[in-house]
Amino acid sequence: MSRHSADNSLRHLTEEPYYQPVGNELAVFMAAWQRRLPVMLKGPTGCGKTRFLEHMAWRLKRPLVTVACHEDLTSSDLVGRFLIEGDETIWQDGPLTRAVREGAICYLDEIVEARTDTTVVIHPLTDHRRHLPIDKLGTEISAHPDFLLVISYNPGYQTVLKDLKPSTKQRFVGMNFSYPPAELEQNIVAKESGLAAEQAGKLVQAAAKARNLKDQGLQEVTSTRALIYAATLMAAGLAPMEAVAAAIISPQTDDPELAAALEEIFQSFLAA
Amino acid sequence: MTEAAEEILEHLEAVSFVAGRDARAALPAVQGLGAAAVLRYLERGRELFFYDREAGKAYFHATADLVQAFGGLDPWLEQSGVFLTQRGTFRAAVAFFAQAAAVRRDHGLAGERCWYEQGARWIARHVDSAAAYFRVPAAQLFGSAGVEDLETLMQPAEELAKGRLGLGTYLDGAIKVRAICGLAGVAEWARRGKDVLAAGRIRGEAWFRLESDEARAFLLEVLPGFRTGPHKRLFALLLQAWTGLQLPLEEGDWSVEGGRSFLETDGRSLFVPAVMPDREEALLAFYHTGAHLAYGSYDQDAIHALFREIGTEHPPLDSDQRITWRPLFAQFGDDLLRFQLIFDLCEDLRVDAALDREMPGYIDRLWRAATARSAPAGAAGAYWQAALGIYADYRQGRLAADLRTLLEPTAGIVDAFRVALARYADTQLPPITLAERAAAFLPGHSPNAARPVYPRRRLASEAVEMDAGGALGAAGHKEKPREAPQQAEGNDPDMEIPPEDIQGTGGRVGVGIPMPAKVAGSGRGVQGPKGGWPYREWDYRQQRYKEDWARVHERSLRERDEARAVEIAAAYDGTLRRLKRALQAQKPTRMAPLRRQFEGEEPDLEAAVQYVVERRAGRSPKANIYLQRRPQQRDTAVLLLADLSTSIMAEAGDSGVRVVDRLRAAMLLFGEALLEVGDPFAIYGFASKYHQEVILYPVKRFGERFDSRARATLAGLSGRLATRMGAAIRHSTRQMLRTQAQRRLLLILSDGRPADYDDGGDARYLQEDTRMAVKEAREQGVHAFCISLDPRGGDYLPLVFGSGHYLVLPHVDSLPQRLPEVYLRLRGSH
Repeated sequence: MSRHSADNSLRHLTEEPYYQPVGNELAVFMAAWQRRLPVMLKGPTGCGKTRFLEHMAWRLKRPLVTVACHEDLTSSDLVGRFLIEGDETIWQDGPLTRAVREGAICYLDEIVEARTDTTVVIHPLTDHRRHLPIDKLGTEISAHPDFLLVISYNPGYQTVLKDLKPSTKQRFVGMNFSYPPAELEQNIVAKESGLAAEQAGKLVQAAAKARNLKDQGLQEVTSTRALIYAATLMAAGLAPMEAVAAAIISPQTDDPELAAALEEIFQSFLAA
Repeated sequence: MTEAAEEILEHLEAVSFVAGRDARAALPAVQGLGAAAVLRYLERGRELFFYDREAGKAYFHATADLVQAFGGLDPWLEQSGVFLTQRGTFRAAVAFFAQAAAVRRDHGLAGERCWYEQGARWIARHVDSAAAYFRVPAAQLFGSAGVEDLETLMQPAEELAKGRLGLGTYLDGAIKVRAICGLAGVAEWARRGKDVLAAGRIRGEAWFRLESDEARAFLLEVLPGFRTGPHKRLFALLLQAWTGLQLPLEEGDWSVEGGRSFLETDGRSLFVPAVMPDREEALLAFYHTGAHLAYGSYDQDAIHALFREIGTEHPPLDSDQRITWRPLFAQFGDDLLRFQLIFDLCEDLRVDAALDREMPGYIDRLWRAATARSAPAGAAGAYWQAALGIYADYRQGRLAADLRTLLEPTAGIVDAFRVALARYADTQLPPITLAERAAAFLPGHSPNAARPVYPRRRLASEAVEMDAGGALGAAGHKEKPREAPQQAEGNDPDMEIPPEDIQGTGGRVGVGIPMPAKVAGSGRGVQGPKGGWPYREWDYRQQRYKEDWARVHERSLRERDEARAVEIAAAYDGTLRRLKRALQAQKPTRMAPLRRQFEGEEPDLEAAVQYVVERRAGRSPKANIYLQRRPQQRDTAVLLLADLSTSIMAEAGDSGVRVVDRLRAAMLLFGEALLEVGDPFAIYGFASKYHQEVILYPVKRFGERFDSRARATLAGLSGRLATRMGAAIRHSTRQMLRTQAQRRLLLILSDGRPADYDDGGDARYLQEDTRMAVKEAREQGVHAFCISLDPRGGDYLPLVFGSGHYLVLPHVDSLPQRLPEVYLRLRGSH
């Protein structure tokens, strides 16, 4: 006989995660939540998708289950598997199943990285059925009324061959994220890092210029997260250009000319 | 007048009415010198005229000026005798008479004598050389130096004449070399040139004309300063980052007279000198020129407004539809340079201030670079100081009221023009010559009206902009290969335009008015070859497909070049080896085990445990509990589709390198890399001529070997016809669907937007069709990715391929390395 193991991978957020709204994203998300429509967050790396969701989970007082998707993710990793414990085999719910049972928000981060056969398990959850079939148990569970599925997706360079199927995409409410406008971004960077607003503003202005370099061999442009990292290093006492080199330039490119260009841009703002 | 003189005049009149008239017209200047002089003068005139009409006419015409400059007939009358000694000297004589007076004035008696003697020596040796010599503007010939320097400059020519090198060819190069690296450089250059000349005539002449790579290499070797060549990409990146502009960088002038080289623009491209004084000045020049482009110095509307200021409705355009600036300055006559410089000061301040708002500390940098330099001497120094003064005031916030208006964000070039006019009216700045002008500019600044410009259109969504001129042969890509930058005197091509051509009467023939596109009708009557595969084509204006509209034919390429294949392989040996090493280093990961297989060499522990567990739980799991280790399954198939249209034959910025050269290398490296990786791949080229004839050239199909035949074909690639991309994509998609692969990547290599002869000049038509073809392919599981060499690709590629599905490589030199890298990155193993 098998029984269910009871480890707890749900996160209950007790403190408010800082999030600075940029547009109508709160309203859209709330509306989707009201109707329990699954949501797809689109946008470049480090623009605040995950943070936004944490904030919403806190606001809605729902637990959050996050799964970072990768190539070797199987459907058992999502749904659950049998384990041996002593003489018994026990069934362990996967994160998706737990979220479905307990009415959590399940966040599948970078869903395109997962294999397509894995992603089909979410299909029955995304329409009016709101069911999760569990083959191995031979059962099908109905989702808790508060269950919400959220996926994120970064339509970038590395996903050329791994696009989501249109049939999958259409099941979601899409929300586009991009880097916030300069003023907001400055607030965000200052608030997150503890750096003085003036310095944070310089970083943000420089980033706006550096972001013009997309298409030029940069896989990703300078993200808000990278700015926060640089600002954090600066707040910790590192010289501005050293912080920029460490947190922004070297993670972003190996191309010496591109690095020189970025350096020149940040230098212009930070030296002044 | 003496009888003898009258007799000569009558004789002249009897022979030629013109001669008599010209001689009489010239006489008053000479008559004050006495009867003997008049007689001498007329005799020489008659001799010259009978010897050669043109020489005689030039003699009479120049007389008044010569007498005035020399204060008499000596020694020029004597000197002119030399032209009587050989046949065919009239060109030399005409040029001599045209310049002698000016030489006398500017360089004194001794200077003139030296100038004359240097040339006269060549009359006996080679008449054409002498003519070439006398024709070189004396200001250029003497440069900033004196008489001895002229002798030194001419010295090597004697020796070279034995190798039968014309003086004209020598002087042309020598003057430039002297401007670039001084007289010592000239001697060295000529000495090496002599050996080159001995090795081969064509090679030698190219050396002296500074056209060959070895001559350029020589100059780069001796030239002091910062080489811009290796840093072009950095500059382009910075320009893009600061201004959002993606402009092609072309090779600019080496150096102008006066020893400074400037970054220039024609509104579409930047012309980058090979050498600049240092990195900082090069950066400042890029920022400053970028600011002109970004803040509207060359905007169409601004330029039109500017010309309206002087009462001209339409700026005059040259044959390339570029605006020439000269009429703006015509009202200033000979004082044009002074006004131009004042105007440049105002306009430079305007754009610099605008840039300074975006780029903190920019003007401080400019200030630091300028003050680190010592001010030039003479008139140029006055302008330099004036400019420096303005920036000093700017930094301290105490600019004069008129200049302060230029700091408004709304100020435009017209405001700068008005301020400049007012300042010009009561300026203390001295007059300046063209030769001095170059020194007057602060670091990074340059004459704003140096080149005729293509006016820039604002807000014009380039994606739907019509191309001008849809004539056959112009199809293909938007940009024609650009002309080589010219090396005009003082580097101002406007100076060469005769005044009658610049009077601004409009001339807007065929510009700007988009012609209605007639796709359906054009190409009618052209019978394409029979057969082929029919494909539909999307017509965005009707929002429907035209069924069976495009016909694709597969043909094989006949040109093969084994030798070049070997050459390319050798040239890129280092790159290829690095690439292969990188790929081999990845091999262990490529041997990554396949988990959960139904058969295999060893058990998959995790799967086995799960199997056992599930069995115990009373389920009947599938027995996929094995691990297979074998080279990764070939799950990505790639088809490289290369645009072979005519435009790839164009030169790409750097001297002598054509796009096709890099394309060949890139595709060869791609093939080698793919062999190493082991993915199934195919290589096709494509071109088109009307919709009935879209040709795909298979270089290597799926399943064929990448062998020496394929390599030789790649090495022999050349450009032809136009770019109907949609049909080529549809056909490639069909080829790809036949392969057994989980993922299919269609890699498109292009250098411009889709176009064909029958697209009626409507760039959007084939672009929309391509967009649909890409969409269809994606729906069938073929992912298209475009690598474009078109610097403006960012305007339309996102619309056609979708964001993230393209890469712009405006620097063709990097293509061979980048192409395999891009593939590997897309494939997800790099």
